[in-house]
Amino acid sequence: MGSVCQLQGWPANNEIWRQAMLAAHAEVARLESKYSRYRSDSVLSRINAEAVRGAVAVDAETAGLLNYAAQAFAHSDGLFDISSGVLRRAWDFSSRRLPVEASLAPLLAQVGWQRVHWNGRAIKLKPGMELDLGGLVKEYAADCIAAVLRAIGLRHGLINLGGDIAVIGPHPDGQAWQVGVVHPRRAGALIAQLPLSQGGLATSGDYERFMMVAGRRYCHLLNPHTGWPVDELAAVTVVAEKSLIAGTSASIAMLKGRAGLDWLSGLGLAYFAVDRELRSYCSDLVPTDPVT
Amino acid sequence: MTEREKARRALLALSSAALALPGYSRASPPPREPGADYRYFAYREADVPAEKTSNPQRRRYDINGHAVRIFAPLGSRWSIDGELLVETMSGASPWFITPGANGQPVQVLSGATISEERTDLLLKLTHHGRALDVGGSVGVSEENDYQAINLGIEAAWEPGEAQWAYRLGLGLSFDELEPTEGASARFPERIAQAQKESATLSGSVSRVLDRRAMLQIGGSLTRHSGHLADPYKLVFVENQAVNDARPRQRSIGVLMARYRRHFAPRTASLHLDYRLTVDDWDIESHTLEFAWHQALGPDWQLVPGLRYYSQSQAEFYAPYFESAPSNGLASSDYRLSPYGALSARLDARRSWGRVQLSFGWEHYRADGSFALGQVTTENPGLLEFDLLSVGFSYRFD
Repeated sequence: MGSVCQLQGWPANNEIWRQAMLAAHAEVARLESKYSRYRSDSVLSRINAEAVRGAVAVDAETAGLLNYAAQAFAHSDGLFDISSGVLRRAWDFSSRRLPVEASLAPLLAQVGWQRVHWNGRAIKLKPGMELDLGGLVKEYAADCIAAVLRAIGLRHGLINLGGDIAVIGPHPDGQAWQVGVVHPRRAGALIAQLPLSQGGLATSGDYERFMMVAGRRYCHLLNPHTGWPVDELAAVTVVAEKSLIAGTSASIAMLKGRAGLDWLSGLGLAYFAVDRELRSYCSDLVPTDPVT
Repeated sequence: MTEREKARRALLALSSAALALPGYSRASPPPREPGADYRYFAYREADVPAEKTSNPQRRRYDINGHAVRIFAPLGSRWSIDGELLVETMSGASPWFITPGANGQPVQVLSGATISEERTDLLLKLTHHGRALDVGGSVGVSEENDYQAINLGIEAAWEPGEAQWAYRLGLGLSFDELEPTEGASARFPERIAQAQKESATLSGSVSRVLDRRAMLQIGGSLTRHSGHLADPYKLVFVENQAVNDARPRQRSIGVLMARYRRHFAPRTASLHLDYRLTVDDWDIESHTLEFAWHQALGPDWQLVPGLRYYSQSQAEFYAPYFESAPSNGLASSDYRLSPYGALSARLDARRSWGRVQLSFGWEHYRADGSFALGQVTTENPGLLEFDLLSVGFSYRFD
């Protein structure tokens, strides 16, 4: 998945731990080979290559992810859009140059889940369209690994897949795991700590890929309606029943800007957010321990 | 629709779409992954020191063994374990002890080189419940002069997410002895045939102390009955070698405590075990064992360990008897003598995915001076041995 997979836990014995490591690796490899856009033989690459020519039938898991993406699109006023990946072609974050509007317009015309023909079993894309599941597969993988390890018999543990976290179970003494939230402007530093004893946690931030142009930060989170990066919030961390839901909600909140925080409160999800001015916002649902 | 209502519906829609994903509803996997282990071991007893024996040939016992174990799930609730052990033994063992010139005991070893084979087969079937595992086992053990059948049941209960775990087991063993050359012209006094039985009831309670530590307290009661004397051993009574004679009953009580503490997660852990054994033959023993499990990178594990053991003697034990004991019981078996023992071991394991290779070495030495109490006369047959093992294990998909 291109990120560090960390497994923490208190296995009953070394044998369970060995099985857990094997199962976690197998699950990451399985999902990577299925949904990586860098692998030409993945299910996703096959959809992108063939669904513009005609409907491509998909397996139950892929159908589940597409159904989920459709719900996320519908309930985010079209902000969470797995067809928005093509916008990246206009944005080269290593160039330190902003794209010209003329290059964005044709790409924007290719974006839009509403233009995808999806009937729950087969998918057909309009010419020029491409899907990217990068916005949800890592979170889904963290949840899947947790489910696999729970089934193996691991009761106390935590999966951290590049910041997307899924809890297998609390510490043996029932205590919550303390999950650090990275500081959006100071690499390697933490800005808060959230207790997590079940479910998942995910963060969306403007610090992973970005460029500074004329003193302004332009990050990789692009609004599918305008083609321009989000610019109100620096990072949003959400706690939910699943890492997948936490990740989607955090992305949508980033795309909505400050209004996204009210939206998260409306969802009833616990969150910790930092805006561009480094003011932090915290839902009253999670006691956070600020890190100084 | 209010904003709040809209948001509530959004979460509901996301949750139900997420929960329909197949990755979240894993069918419960088989209770355990199938696998196979093989282990070869070589056990070598050190020669009896020249000053402690009158035999010109001072070599003792060697054992070479091969152990194979396979285990596999049977459906979603059952699993089966099978274990086969084949050992070949050869060499001489302590026979009896005579008083030496200065009263010091002198070991006489059995002259003939024994070479025999032992085969052990154990089958175990376990039912895996939500919190309760119940297993039953049947085992047979066969040597040319010995046959045994073992039966066992065991239950392990781990209620929910609780920090307690309980274990209860009952084991029965029925043994039949037919000593080589029993009641023969050469050994007319040696018994021709005998039986013995034993029953063991054991239980333990484990408790998670905190994130890093676990304590297990357990105990067992064993009752042996039947011919408990060693048919091959003699004892020197009034300057005459007579049959080893022991009570026909023995009750043993064991209390044990195991402590496990993890240090840096997954890289090191301390294992500390203590065991107290008391029996109605008057033997009391203490075992203290320490092991350090050290991971070296993701694939290597190194386990150095030390064990200390000390026991007092059986009431009917003496190196030799100058006058016949009134109850007719007499044994000079070194295993019933007072002594202490130290052993050091080192295990190394290397994993390659589903394959693991292991290597182990242990050196053991018993000595009268290692005992907790004062040992006035040390048994000359106390053991010193090396145990080398090489293992291979594989976990199937």
